[in-house]
Amino acid sequence: MGDRAHAGAPLEEPFMPEHVSRLDSTLPEFPAAQGRGAIFSPLPQDTHDSRMRAHSVQTIGVDAQTLYRLWRDVTVAPRWMEYVISAEPKSATVTHWVLGNPEDPRDKRIEYDTEIIEDIPGEKISWRSLDSSIKESGEVLFRPATGDRGTVVVLQESAHVPGGSLGIAAAAVTKRSPRQIVIEDLRHFKQIAETGEIPNVERNPHGPRGFIGTLKEHLYGENNPTPPGTVVH
Amino acid sequence: MKAVCWMGTGNIQVHKVPDPEIVNPHDAILRVTRTAICGSDLHLYDGYIPTMEAGDILGHEFMGVVEEVGPEVKNLKRGDRVVVPFTISCGNCFFCKRDLWSLCDNTNPNAQIAETMYGYSGSALFGYSHIYGGFAGGQAQYVRVPFANVGPIKIENDLPDEKVLFLSDIYPTGYMGAENANIQPGDTVAIWGCGPVGLFAIASAYMLGAERVIAIDRFPERLKLAREYCGATTIDYTDNDVVVVEALRDLTGGIGPDSCIDAVGMEAHSNTLIGMYDKVKQAAMLETDRPFVLRQALQAIRKGGTLSIPGVYGGALDKVNFGAAFGKAVHMAMGQTHMHKYLKPLLKSIEAGKIDPSFLISHRVGIEEVPDMYKIWRDKKDQVTKIVIDPWRDQIGDKIAA
Repeated sequence: MGDRAHAGAPLEEPFMPEHVSRLDSTLPEFPAAQGRGAIFSPLPQDTHDSRMRAHSVQTIGVDAQTLYRLWRDVTVAPRWMEYVISAEPKSATVTHWVLGNPEDPRDKRIEYDTEIIEDIPGEKISWRSLDSSIKESGEVLFRPATGDRGTVVVLQESAHVPGGSLGIAAAAVTKRSPRQIVIEDLRHFKQIAETGEIPNVERNPHGPRGFIGTLKEHLYGENNPTPPGTVVH
Repeated sequence: MKAVCWMGTGNIQVHKVPDPEIVNPHDAILRVTRTAICGSDLHLYDGYIPTMEAGDILGHEFMGVVEEVGPEVKNLKRGDRVVVPFTISCGNCFFCKRDLWSLCDNTNPNAQIAETMYGYSGSALFGYSHIYGGFAGGQAQYVRVPFANVGPIKIENDLPDEKVLFLSDIYPTGYMGAENANIQPGDTVAIWGCGPVGLFAIASAYMLGAERVIAIDRFPERLKLAREYCGATTIDYTDNDVVVVEALRDLTGGIGPDSCIDAVGMEAHSNTLIGMYDKVKQAAMLETDRPFVLRQALQAIRKGGTLSIPGVYGGALDKVNFGAAFGKAVHMAMGQTHMHKYLKPLLKSIEAGKIDPSFLISHRVGIEEVPDMYKIWRDKKDQVTKIVIDPWRDQIGDKIAA
């Protein structure tokens, strides 16, 4: 052990680096911050009562009222939802849907009506199927995102799965899983809201695909028709 | 039109395919005047990037003349000469608005594939597999350019195509690699890889204030360009007397390079035992990427230094000395180039004569010669440093080095 008197000049003032002194002055008092604590509750998952549930969340850089109006106008749905051939209002709350492949009239289609249950402009739309063989319901929530990021949109779909086969109605006519349809529909909604178009490689030039190339197209889900967005062709 | 198509691992063919058309309102159709083969195209050629389909048109470095524009493209018209960035960005999402253009939310039609692999999908790329959207690339006579109101930069000077072509990828990629290295005046920077991206990174490092740049490679023609055009101190790592980590210690006064740049990526070559380990594991599909350069850079870098990674990685690493990164408090920055941030300033640097990007072109070919050129490019034969293609000529055969 050395003699501490030779260890060097003593510090003159208590030394407070800038970032530490900031801790004192600009952060909220802890008791106020304590109000922010919460326990995470997951959105409903599939349960063992043969209901399938799927959800998707996106942050979209557009205000909630504009997004609400875009979603609420069902006549626009074929431009961004997959496998919707048409959606026609029959009344203020009832819509008639025709689902199928918009690009192939010979493909299977189904038709059914839905009814809006809750409709809070800028906040929430919920709906359910009126067709007794398609037990499906859903809701979309619009909430402000933090800062200037826009709106958080939460889409949930629930469907009764008879015999474990069919999920949401669209699954009857698509090659996608029901869960993936919910994810892709909300993604397309974000794309059309932020850019006016849906990215599309359907008429992409390419050389001969061969058998394996064609199989891969199917496996990657590329044979799902892309919704037209604001259409040119 | 004619297009260069990937037909399988190691199998490139030129085919006649339909011309592209306007599909979406922000599209434009470009007649390609010049294009090139990228080092990252070799990962496609060698089969290391999954989700390629036979018939995919390759190529993401291209420029040309606007033929047709969609109704929402107001800033371009038929006849405009443009260079197109290889990333496709919408300009209106969270990421584009923050200059993070290669992370665009809205341009990948196959976002679900990238989400499965990476958690979230970045932007689509031209000609770079279906994870990145499956868009037809520019090693062809025409290309469809989505979001043409956002991406392409107009060229309104008299410079020949080959002096501005590399704005499409490699010059901004090298520049961002150098910018990500957080170079301070007086710093020493070590760069692995004297391919085109590495060479532009060397030049950019000097532009950003580096005192000295050390460049590491094994091909004499590439080391020569690094030395004579870019002013680097070069290290040939295949020299039996050279131990790279020791050389970097000796060249930096015993401290190690302040910044390291990995311009090599996932197909790193090495003669050593661990290099063999990587090759064997990769061949057996037990390891997707070969991180030899990463290991060396992490060992060599100065304490508190910055490691910048413009070299492409796609999958998973094995046996990387992350303890060295932690133990030395290393900063890391990486990713696909945020192209749109750099196009205007780098075009200015070319117009002002600060750099002549055509310095590294070694081969000028026509479209029919491209399949053979992929093999030469991969095997580093014929002193190849960069291959530029005129897709409207079948054969040029000009192999004079710059």
